[in-house]
Amino acid sequence: MHIVKQLMAIPGVIAAGEFAYRGDRFSYEGALTAEFARMAAILCRSNTMSVNMQSEIFDSFAENCGCRPVQGWIVRGSQVAVCNIGNYFAFIENRPELLNDVMTIMRAKVGDVGGDLLVSLYARIGGDVKEALY
Amino acid sequence: MNLDQLMDLPGALAAFSYTDKGDLNDHRVREGSEITPQVLDLLAHSCVANMAVATLEARGWESLTGQKGFEPLQGFSIVGLEWSAVVNGQCGVVMRNRDVNYEAAFNAIQACTAS
Repeated sequence: MHIVKQLMAIPGVIAAGEFAYRGDRFSYEGALTAEFARMAAILCRSNTMSVNMQSEIFDSFAENCGCRPVQGWIVRGSQVAVCNIGNYFAFIENRPELLNDVMTIMRAKVGDVGGDLLVSLYARIGGDVKEALY
Repeated sequence: MNLDQLMDLPGALAAFSYTDKGDLNDHRVREGSEITPQVLDLLAHSCVANMAVATLEARGWESLTGQKGFEPLQGFSIVGLEWSAVVNGQCGVVMRNRDVNYEAAFNAIQACTAS
């Protein structure tokens, strides 16, 4: 089953989606309008790039310290959390055990994110990655 | 909740506290771990920055969409290849991914920040 559909089948998952490259190519399911999903995709892509940059700085001080490449991030709000693994995101309610379940599924289904994030994100929309990026 | 208690979380490799600016105050590191105090100091700075950015995004999101439930934020986590760091306020904990319990970590960090 597709990751987004599998996530949406879990009670308490508000919305889930996938983004690529600049964050402006996306798909989603759940309680978001298309415009809000577009904003969410850009926001998640931006945060993902940011934490990747930070992990490269960590790595330059302590090589192979276990952080790089970053797999994702979580922001936990008062009632809602946003989880991001690779190029997938999920908005979830703060229910007991839901965060652990969602993170386990996302890590298992997305798999380990490779070292070159831009290549990984661009590859999701197809085309000649090297020609487009370099 | 203190740093020694944070080290009791499943898979905990390090626990640390930091100032509002992200400077390391105190830390514990599991023996044999690859985590160094220098990495914790960088991590603390990045966590202060990420919490600030996340607050900006949460406030903007709530304002633009009318959706509620983000603010006040309860924490931020960066998920690395082998470990995850969970932070909030002035406390943070680093845990091995294969043992991590994010909910327990966020709750423990909340308690650490409140104490």
